Amino acid sequence: MKSRWIVGGGDQLGLAYYAWKQARQDEDVQKIEVPQGADYEFDLSVFDQLNPETGDIFIAFDERFGNFKRMELFRAALARGFSLGPLISASADVAQDVVVGKNVFIGPQAVIGHGCKIEYNSVIHAGAHVGANSHLRASVWVEPGVQIGARVEVGAHAIIRTGAIVHSNIKVGKGAELGWPQLYSTDVTDKTVYDIRYDEPIYVYGS
Amino acid sequence: MQSRMHPKYYLSQDIFDREQVKIFRKVWLFAGLASLLPENNSFITRKIAGIPVVIQNFKGEIKAFENVCLHRSAPLQQGFYGRRALVCPYHAWSYDATGMVKSIPDCDTIYRFSNEEKQSLKLREFALKQLGSLLFINLSSEPMPFEEQFNPGFVALMKNAANAFDTEVMVTTWHGKFNWKLVYENLRDFNHVKFLHAKSLAAVADFPFHAANQVDLALTPLSDTSVAGLRKAMRPFSFGGPEGEVDPIRHVPWLDMVERWGTQDAYFNWLAYPNLHIACGNGGYSFTIEHHIPVAPDRTDIEIYFVTAKKKKPYAASSQVLLSNLHYSKKILDEDIGMLEQIQSVLHDDAPIPNQGAYESTNRQIERWYTTLMEIEHEI
Repeated sequence: MKSRWIVGGGDQLGLAYYAWKQARQDEDVQKIEVPQGADYEFDLSVFDQLNPETGDIFIAFDERFGNFKRMELFRAALARGFSLGPLISASADVAQDVVVGKNVFIGPQAVIGHGCKIEYNSVIHAGAHVGANSHLRASVWVEPGVQIGARVEVGAHAIIRTGAIVHSNIKVGKGAELGWPQLYSTDVTDKTVYDIRYDEPIYVYGS
Repeated sequence: MQSRMHPKYYLSQDIFDREQVKIFRKVWLFAGLASLLPENNSFITRKIAGIPVVIQNFKGEIKAFENVCLHRSAPLQQGFYGRRALVCPYHAWSYDATGMVKSIPDCDTIYRFSNEEKQSLKLREFALKQLGSLLFINLSSEPMPFEEQFNPGFVALMKNAANAFDTEVMVTTWHGKFNWKLVYENLRDFNHVKFLHAKSLAAVADFPFHAANQVDLALTPLSDTSVAGLRKAMRPFSFGGPEGEVDPIRHVPWLDMVERWGTQDAYFNWLAYPNLHIACGNGGYSFTIEHHIPVAPDRTDIEIYFVTAKKKKPYAASSQVLLSNLHYSKKILDEDIGMLEQIQSVLHDDAPIPNQGAYESTNRQIERWYTTLMEIEHEI
């Protein structure tokens, strides 16, 4: 029996583990927690016992540190030769021509319109809607119930939180975080953060 | 002993207006970061003491002008930050690095300004001073020398640190519901740290302070109330350096990505009266720049800039390092802001006058200067 190792931590690890168990009863699905040190660095030695010839890995980690922590694990697994197949929940409604990258998670009842492209390592949670011909770049995080219009471009590592409605035809910059429950109807510049704890958006200038 | 600060100083619109004229339009104020103006035509806009200001890079030279077109009073630049020539979007009047009108489309045919009239069209310019990445502005038509307001040792250390600031800057603004003076009274009072920040700041840093034994000079009236005397009395209000002792700095990977400023494991603070506080809680790895903007007697905007020391080379997650540090700073600042908003909320014209102890002598000196300035006719 082929193994499916769900590797990561936190709530996302449990979520992905049960989703895979339900989706692939023909596989031996196991979850593996990656320890983190006091400096938040992962102990990647957990990958040493896993062999790409006997199974595949799915990385399950939340959006912390702008999705860079999940990306770190993704890269580590990729470098070790795993193919990192995506998980599309049985109840998700994903149009036939949608391009789905490695290690993508599409939750129950999510709706992805025709012509969409969901790049590697992105997470689309339960009940989120993505309008036709939208393009989500790598390592994006879309929370439950988010509404994204048609022809929306979402930059790499962006976070779109529950309550956000993203108008059709806009661009959400890379690393942006849409955390205020509101309609976003104009382009959002790279790395701009709307965090509900703050009175104004957080901007990043220069490099 | 009783403070000189009557509640009216925190509540009255008349006092607020007087402060804007007598302090904020006269002294040097923090205005922004030069790192936001890296190339020709980069600009930032601000409203400082009620005056709209554009600070713009003209081929490497940074200048500050009133951000109002001389034709129909439209703002010349819009938005906090951008890159665009100094041209009014309304009727395309453009301006040069001296603030003179450079060109007016169809000037001869439809405006028919005489040469003399054209020559007289010049934007109001404001004095600027750059310390490393820090920009200071003076809105007065006869600005006092920068060195008169800040003592040389303070300027040298702050400039030295500001030279180490990285060019990637995170910026946000909080709208505080309190009078701006409460912030400074709080920042000069280290006694609150172990109580208000018991679980946050006090868990990682110590701020030793003492109560002077000698007779408090601030108890007697200010002896020299001339313009020169008031300026001189102001200088000790701005100070800074390694004020706190911190626990050994916990290693996280981003520390290796930046050129640390200095080598001293300490909590550095700089207070530049009246509108700037810089804190560096980790011995030179990152800096929180707090810019306090009085909006109304009971409203103060706190504009926060967060930078690390200069990056050794660019790396993908650098803005996330800024964000997680900003979230940490916010936790501590929220404790201060929450308290200041509570204080403001119970102030009224008849409220009890604060009682101060010996350790609060710096605040007393400022209060003596402030109340004198508010009550006399002349300015500084």
